[in-house]
Amino acid sequence: MSALGFIFSPFVIAILTALFFRKESSVSKFVALALFTAMLLFSLHLFSELPSSGYLDLGTFLAVPQFDFFLTLKVDMLSTIMLTLTSVLLLLVALSSWSMKNQALYYSLLIFFSGAIFGVFMSTNLLWFFIFWELTLIPMYFLIGIWGAERRIYAAIKFFLYTHVASMLILLAFFLIHKEAGTFDMTLVKEGILLSPVLIWWLLFVGFSVKMPLFPFHTWLPDAHVQAPAPISVLLAGVLLKMGAYAMIRMVLLLLPETSQKYAWVLLALGLITLFYAGLMAIYETHLKKMVAYSSISHMGLIAIAMSTLSYTGLSATLYEMIGHAFIIAPLFLIAGFFHHKTGSWEMKNMGGIMQKAPYISAIFVLAGLGALGLPGTMGFVGELSILLSSIKSFGLWMAIVALGSMLGAGYIIWTLRRVIYGEMSEMVRKTDFSMNLFEFFALTVFALFIILFGLFPNLLFEYINPAFVQFSSLGGAL
Amino acid sequence: MISAFTILFAMALVSLFFHRSYLLKPLSLVALLGAGYATFSGTVVPLIGFGTNEQIQLFELVLEVVLFTIILHESEDITITQTLFLGSASVLLLRSNTLISFILSFEALSIISVVLVSYIKTKDQAEGAVKMFIAGSMATGIVLLGVAFYLMGGGMLLAPLSTQSSLFMGIGVSLMLAGLFYKLTIVPFHGWAIDTYALVRHSHAAILSGVAKTVATLAIFKIFAPFLAEHITLSMPLLATLAIITMSLGNFLALFTKNIARILSYSSIAHAGYMLIAFVAVKSSYADEGILYMAIAYIFMQSGAFLALDSMKKEYNIETLDELKGFASQNPILSFFFTLQLFSLAGIPLLAGFLAKAVVFYAGVDAGLWWLVLIALLNSALSVGYYAWIIKSMYFDEGSFKTRLVELHLPLTSQAILATGTLFFGIFAGIIFG
Repeated sequence: MSALGFIFSPFVIAILTALFFRKESSVSKFVALALFTAMLLFSLHLFSELPSSGYLDLGTFLAVPQFDFFLTLKVDMLSTIMLTLTSVLLLLVALSSWSMKNQALYYSLLIFFSGAIFGVFMSTNLLWFFIFWELTLIPMYFLIGIWGAERRIYAAIKFFLYTHVASMLILLAFFLIHKEAGTFDMTLVKEGILLSPVLIWWLLFVGFSVKMPLFPFHTWLPDAHVQAPAPISVLLAGVLLKMGAYAMIRMVLLLLPETSQKYAWVLLALGLITLFYAGLMAIYETHLKKMVAYSSISHMGLIAIAMSTLSYTGLSATLYEMIGHAFIIAPLFLIAGFFHHKTGSWEMKNMGGIMQKAPYISAIFVLAGLGALGLPGTMGFVGELSILLSSIKSFGLWMAIVALGSMLGAGYIIWTLRRVIYGEMSEMVRKTDFSMNLFEFFALTVFALFIILFGLFPNLLFEYINPAFVQFSSLGGAL
Repeated sequence: MISAFTILFAMALVSLFFHRSYLLKPLSLVALLGAGYATFSGTVVPLIGFGTNEQIQLFELVLEVVLFTIILHESEDITITQTLFLGSASVLLLRSNTLISFILSFEALSIISVVLVSYIKTKDQAEGAVKMFIAGSMATGIVLLGVAFYLMGGGMLLAPLSTQSSLFMGIGVSLMLAGLFYKLTIVPFHGWAIDTYALVRHSHAAILSGVAKTVATLAIFKIFAPFLAEHITLSMPLLATLAIITMSLGNFLALFTKNIARILSYSSIAHAGYMLIAFVAVKSSYADEGILYMAIAYIFMQSGAFLALDSMKKEYNIETLDELKGFASQNPILSFFFTLQLFSLAGIPLLAGFLAKAVVFYAGVDAGLWWLVLIALLNSALSVGYYAWIIKSMYFDEGSFKTRLVELHLPLTSQAILATGTLFFGIFAGIIFG
């Protein structure tokens, strides 16, 4: 019952917050913080309840047996990890949005989003999964459209339309699954009984590729990332893209393992193209936030490569990198947004020498940047190394080219650091006062601590990640 | 026991004596509550040719709730009376079993619709009303011609539509459907609807496109489904083509429109296309529930959207997207309700519009027409383009409203009821499946 509460109460709280705290809008922040803390505690509590393998049943609600339409809530290790990651990020995002305009509406949209995303990770009925999946679009649409930068309207509508079209393919695939397997419950679907697994695979694959995003379906993301306010970019990269990756693992790889095996090369190819294409775009960019956005997309390419191995080690690496990517890209977005907020410019050439004015924030930016290029001791290193190793194991030595992707990363990160953080102090930076709100400061520190903590002690995470993919330990890998 | 029809019809007649009296609205509302109770307790018109079942009963209840909100919203006496007449005709049409009762009550509904829009104050409204009158007369002629052919082929007036067919019966049924599709605004019979829905008063458009059209759709499905299922090889490709053309044309034209009422008219045509999928997928066991769900969702969201627009027009003189800019900061509550209904029309989950589409489209997949459903889904995604654009104007753009406090108690109450309906049927689907 409490699981159901965490999905639906946010919707009610969101509407009440928007209506009643319009005057004293700072109350809404504390409502959001309290709710997200409760969600975090709930997700942590789930770890202790989980059975050693398989699903923990949290109940079935709103039954419509004639249409096989049940709100079935089940969680396993994978979804519990995603729930925890999401609630940590929501909490930190709520903190780093402390000085937003029009707070009552902003925080109520965040709260609304939290309910939808919890629904995505908890429901195993495909139709309800889809409902929550679509519902995440609504708050995001408003968050980008109202609080975004100059071209926010274009970005918001493009984001909405693009991902909505992709969702339609997913819905059709779910319908076909129900027609052929006779159930909407993803835990009961067996690939063997499907009549047209290939059609379903392609529909799902394209649908989820848009959300991840993979080349050539990524074009909505740079716009959304750049136009969204910094905390929302964090949510996009840390939660929404991860939702795509989660769905790709859950619905494509775990639901249709045989067809996935057959078409793993598509995923691999798109992953490689995404890695290199986005990496090159990031080198080319002089717009600070666009650089971070392309770096984020490039890392999603890495995640796709790790997925395509379809092996135990590969999927563990995927999940680790998903968490690592969220923690590394978040401070990059937040600090890029902070620099823009203070200097009023996105252009790297206008910046320089920020280290001398704001050493602590710059240090976190450097740390996250080094994490993104995979410096040992950070989460980035563990993630990229395990992806490299697992893909070499599955596809052979030529996969060492993945390391080239990391080298591209080194290129754009180090060059950016040189232009923005170090170097001559520019006139603009000299005039700017880089003082930061205490809550935002705290959020950044937490991100930095996570990057180092899990980078030095990856087993803290792998202890939980590995059991999520036990069923894959029997499979040798794709090829 | 007295049936819902009797109560509504009697109240409609009595209401004529209460014009210009403050009693009219409360009395009509009480009559609708009574009609709702009569429907709920399941009494029927004791006439041959009329009958009811659980599905129809549920839809009647929804219909009475929506009529309740329309009367609550409405401030013109004559429209309240017409709404009551229309309600009684709708009940008859929904309950009709045989061909003759269907044709008669269908014509009653059409004539009342024409009378409704004939309360003309401006030139535009006159144009809308005349177009509807001419198209409606044409449609009636075609339907009657179809009936004549059908009878010539050996059909019976005092029986449900026969499923066997001779050549003439086939021609007759096709002609009847062609005439009826005028009312459902299926392309190429849609021409009148865009102008009429956009030009007449918005609360009249709510009644026409929200109430009358849904009632007609459901009744036509009930009468014609067995025949279509019997002749699936012929009806399927024909209706599938019409469905594709209807929804694609509706959605594409809506994308390029600036007038909000016109956008809603095009969206109404697109929805007729979605509903037609249930006619195509008539073999599926989900088609029944699909069309019922679509009708229930649509009557809430279309009436809600048009009534909201009516308030905007009356109090703020908003007609185009430009005039809507920044409306959310002017009237956040009305904007919220309008947004909710638009999202429901766009098929966003947790709102009735999504589940309705899901069930209808699933019926399509169930009947093996996944390609048709794919086109419908992409159309539905395309439609987000213009709904999101309306919402964008309300929320993202800066407006230039002169701050003026407008009290909208009754319209907002009726909006709240309609929004509750949209939300309720978006979450609790069980009630539709009985």
